Amino acid sequence: MNPFVIAAAWLALGLVASGVLRRPTARLVAVVPLVGVGLTMLAARSASAAVPLGGFSGITGLDRAGQGLLVATGLSMALVVLMQPSIDVSVGRTIGVVGAAATIVMASSDPLVSALALTGAVATLVLRWIGLAPGRATLAAGRVAGSGTAALLAASPLLPLTGFTTGDRPVVVAGLLATGVAALLAIYPLGGWAAGIIGSLKPIDVAPWMILLVPVVLIIAERIPGGVLGDGTPVFEHVLLVVGLGSAVWSGVWAVRGAPAMRYGRVFMADIALCVAAVEGASVSPAITGALVILVTHLTLAPILLRPAGAGVLWPRRVAWALLSGVPPSPTFWGRLLLLEALAAGNVGSTIAAVIAMAAIFIAVVLACSTRIRGTSVAGVHGRLPDLAAWVLVAVGIAIGLAPQSFTGFVFGH
Amino acid sequence: MGVSAPLLSAAGVVGAVVAMMVDGRRSVAVAVVLLSAGLAPTAATFGGAPGVAVLGASAVAAVLLAWGGRVGGRVLPWLTGLDPTIPAFAPADRLFGPRSSRAFGAAVAVPVASWVSFNVPIGQVAAVEGFLFPIAFAWTCGVIRLLVARTLEDLAVGVTMVSIATGTAWLLRSGTDSFPGAALAWLAAPLAAFIVGWLNGRGSRRAHPPAEADA
Repeated sequence: MNPFVIAAAWLALGLVASGVLRRPTARLVAVVPLVGVGLTMLAARSASAAVPLGGFSGITGLDRAGQGLLVATGLSMALVVLMQPSIDVSVGRTIGVVGAAATIVMASSDPLVSALALTGAVATLVLRWIGLAPGRATLAAGRVAGSGTAALLAASPLLPLTGFTTGDRPVVVAGLLATGVAALLAIYPLGGWAAGIIGSLKPIDVAPWMILLVPVVLIIAERIPGGVLGDGTPVFEHVLLVVGLGSAVWSGVWAVRGAPAMRYGRVFMADIALCVAAVEGASVSPAITGALVILVTHLTLAPILLRPAGAGVLWPRRVAWALLSGVPPSPTFWGRLLLLEALAAGNVGSTIAAVIAMAAIFIAVVLACSTRIRGTSVAGVHGRLPDLAAWVLVAVGIAIGLAPQSFTGFVFGH
Repeated sequence: MGVSAPLLSAAGVVGAVVAMMVDGRRSVAVAVVLLSAGLAPTAATFGGAPGVAVLGASAVAAVLLAWGGRVGGRVLPWLTGLDPTIPAFAPADRLFGPRSSRAFGAAVAVPVASWVSFNVPIGQVAAVEGFLFPIAFAWTCGVIRLLVARTLEDLAVGVTMVSIATGTAWLLRSGTDSFPGAALAWLAAPLAAFIVGWLNGRGSRRAHPPAEADA
């Protein structure tokens, strides 16, 4: 199956779902990511990983890690949709466009194609966000994330750097790539524009960015090999290390101090910032494994924690929070331990910053677990289904904690 | 006959400054046409007639799609939506308005573009240096317009400026992939024009409800 066909299916189904479905059938929006997942599983695997630094070679195909990532993100997105108490069908269009863009980005070795696909995804998200809640926060998403995609577009004609690994060109390219990655992952400036989005929109409207786009950007950032950037390597690595650790500490602190409704978003951003800092700033082998464990944990637990707090699933929600605590045998313990190991190999300053961020996340998780929430429960089979699904997801989370490397190997192939 | 770098730069700067300052419902189309005209000499120098033709086609497509989107948005009986010309938030009264900050941004872009032009070689087959000024200036202005945006229209103009500048940079890059790359980068401009035209059409329908009621 050609990645173009998969992307076209995401796009077409998303547009059809938002145009055809009505309120009683709104949950059928979940069909969009589920069909995307099914088609991705049928895709023939490419032998080589798509590294977004090549020349204009177009779409090369999905490698094993890309295929696993798209399947995991698609399933998680479908579960987020199914577990929401109410759905606005127009979110189907956003899910379709962002899913299509994620597929193209993971299948393309070309920096221009990747940047254009990311531009399309960000434009769609921003249009929806500004339409739903016009204001400084949503406009900031357009400003900063738009500038990030502009930076990636600007880097594209300067790549690859074959024959130009010294001088100012690699430094400029590294700066542009670091700016693009930091802006799209919302780790710049200090927690970034995403904090405003999480505070002003419903979780389902933020989910396409959190679930479909962030993991893809994290993976393609990991694939930018330092050695290829020549003189720009220190710029790329140090910028993402410093910005990532700063953002992790800031998000961790605000996960403790901020509003309970924003707590999961802050913890998610702190974890992603730690992953970027470790993977880009301390590129040793434990970092990527740790980042993958954290990524797959969030993809598993996001459907529970993105469900509004007062809408049932109270006990699964508490256990899901506990799985994010970083206390063994939770999967985040292994993930954060590997990230810490990688950062400790670099310098003591980054280790201290990472420990502070992890401690703040732990306190935020304790606060989330101890907060008493008065929930409403619906009687009958329909009322029990979200609880059942949430317990299944919690069981998967526990399984990840018991065998983290086997699970990431199963999903990503390494 | 050699190429006059100052002449190429002057044309690009004029196009980019106008695109930076333009406002209103037709601003995306105006920005695309004038920036394309400004960068056309650079495109002609490095891409020849085919380069100018593709750039021109992109500008024409942007104008047509903006118009088509506007008509479609006004005619189709769907819900009225977001008006791209209304600011997303109302800032407090300040001494300098949005155009002043854009003018300041354009002034800042001059030394940035100048440094890039003389220090960053571009090209796969043979490195070209010193001709990147109009492209770097247009790109920097586009990013500054994005960063100081207050409306969707501002964001769309910023995207089109970045798209046209990137496409022209792909022509300077030379090699077999320069034309497909340039065409692909320029594609974002007509798409942005269509989306804003569509939103404008829907916004203008909401602005004249009595006319709809009479009809």
